[in-house]
Amino acid sequence: YPLFQRGGPQLRIFRPNFFMLAVRPGVPQPEDTVQFRVSMEMTKLDIRNYLEKIYNVPVAAVRTRIQYGANNKRNHRNQRVKKPDYKVAYVQLGQGQTFQFPNLFPEKEQDAETRSFDDFRDKFMEKEKQKQEGDPRRGGVPDWFGL
Amino acid sequence: MASLRVRQLLAPSRRWFSETVSGTPSPPDSPLYPPVVASITAKSKAAKSRRLQRFNQRVHAAATVEEKLRLYGKLQRPKYTVYPQTFALNADRWYRSFTKTVLVPGMPPRAAAAKAPVAAAGATPEAGRAPEPGVEAPGAAEAPGAAETPEPAVGAVPYLDIGELRSLACDALLQESFYQNKKRPFLYRDQDHTPGPFLTQLVSTLAASLSGRNPLLAASSLDLNPEVSYYWHHGEEVVVHGHRKGRVDPVRFQIDDNPHLQIRVPKQLPEVVPLESDLGDVPVIDHKPSKLPLFKKQYENKVFIGSKVADPCCYGHTQFHLLPDKLKRERFIRERLEDQIEVVYRSNGIASLFAWTAAQAMYQGFWSEADVTRPFVSQAVVTDGKYFAFFCYQLNTLALTAETIKNNPRKNICWSTDSKPLYDVVEDGNVKGFNDEVLLQLVRFLLNRPKEL
Repeated sequence: YPLFQRGGPQLRIFRPNFFMLAVRPGVPQPEDTVQFRVSMEMTKLDIRNYLEKIYNVPVAAVRTRIQYGANNKRNHRNQRVKKPDYKVAYVQLGQGQTFQFPNLFPEKEQDAETRSFDDFRDKFMEKEKQKQEGDPRRGGVPDWFGL
Repeated sequence: MASLRVRQLLAPSRRWFSETVSGTPSPPDSPLYPPVVASITAKSKAAKSRRLQRFNQRVHAAATVEEKLRLYGKLQRPKYTVYPQTFALNADRWYRSFTKTVLVPGMPPRAAAAKAPVAAAGATPEAGRAPEPGVEAPGAAEAPGAAETPEPAVGAVPYLDIGELRSLACDALLQESFYQNKKRPFLYRDQDHTPGPFLTQLVSTLAASLSGRNPLLAASSLDLNPEVSYYWHHGEEVVVHGHRKGRVDPVRFQIDDNPHLQIRVPKQLPEVVPLESDLGDVPVIDHKPSKLPLFKKQYENKVFIGSKVADPCCYGHTQFHLLPDKLKRERFIRERLEDQIEVVYRSNGIASLFAWTAAQAMYQGFWSEADVTRPFVSQAVVTDGKYFAFFCYQLNTLALTAETIKNNPRKNICWSTDSKPLYDVVEDGNVKGFNDEVLLQLVRFLLNRPKEL
């Protein structure tokens, strides 16, 4: 890039090294709130600019908190293993927009063959279980018990 | 002999088996065994309800209002602090759901206001005062010059001189912002520098000049920077963590408010609509209040109207709120949140007035188990120095706890207006673009009084 001097055109492009991960909230959030896991060094201003400039998402408010990763687990050498800390950002969208985290694993429609195969398999397992159990008239008493 | 003894033995047993009442003395009036009720100390729902009932009986049986308030707020637990002046988005919807308030845009039609007709230019204010539900006449900003001369008094009742009141307001404004030499305001203290003193001066002079017309104002008490607090329960939640984990607790709220000015009166303002009226819907929000965001703290559960219970001026008339620097219009416009500007005014009006009217009701001995028998009405003006928004609140119910709200059809009502500027700009000793409507509404608020007076 040509050398930048004050007043000149800004030809440089700065690409942030941050990443933002949209996550499904653990507790139900209001409709206009999106939950992100962001890098620990990001600030509220950074998050706002990131979403507005790169993704054109109108941001009304941002609140952040740092989630401490626990240090209780132990490995085979009895050393404590720490889960990493991460920062969570709650972003409230502007202009009345709402967001609902999508269902990433929807139920797939099964065709007739797979459905009939599943039914057959379930019935077979049921019959096997019935054979394993003893006579229902004995009320759960094993068959070696007797005179 | 043996047969005699047998007959003696058989005779009482026959009486014991038979149902007919014989000559034996009747059983004593008090039951032989104590009533079979749930335990008080067990960890069960029946025991909890019995403890609650005993607590309610204790509060009902309290001799004085101070004792009732002391028992009501005795148990301290973490509670949500509700701030009337908040930057949270869409706070007024949340606050309406916490306080079961219906928001009605526009001021209520006041039939009683015809007592003090105002001589302003043309008949527009009179038409606006006639029972016209809701919005004030938008085009009533007549040329100020036309209203300079007071209308010739028809009859013996002296008409209100709008010119005199306007000059009072302009004097106060110019004194604070132009004539008085003030240093530059400290950082983020703009509101205390000019709009604060202007508001105090305006209200005290207007109240003094209108007290001749409104005897209630003459007997009123003007508080400077008073405290208003209220504590209530609404809804239920499960305790998340701690030694009380898993128990069902009521959701506790506390409002601690400091209005800029407050007028308290010895007589109550008249009701605007009947107690059981239904003017709209209360928003229902399923999420926890902490998503607003609202935070929990544990401290004294205070219920206070600005003076203690023994004060004769125990009813509220008007509150005046000044918005802080953090919530000024320019900041919202810069962050492209224009719709939140009105939300700030509304949330301030609803929360502050609910706290004030509910605390007034508690001072009269009502509480969530003993609901109000007459509506409590108060007014408020929220301003940031230039823009004024007017609110009128009618408290119809205090029963907001999980049990008492079940069969309670009553809702609290809040009438509100949008914020309008009082003036456009102050330059060179002149106030440009003075808005008479806002002043009129302010005067109407101050002149509001019960029908007997």
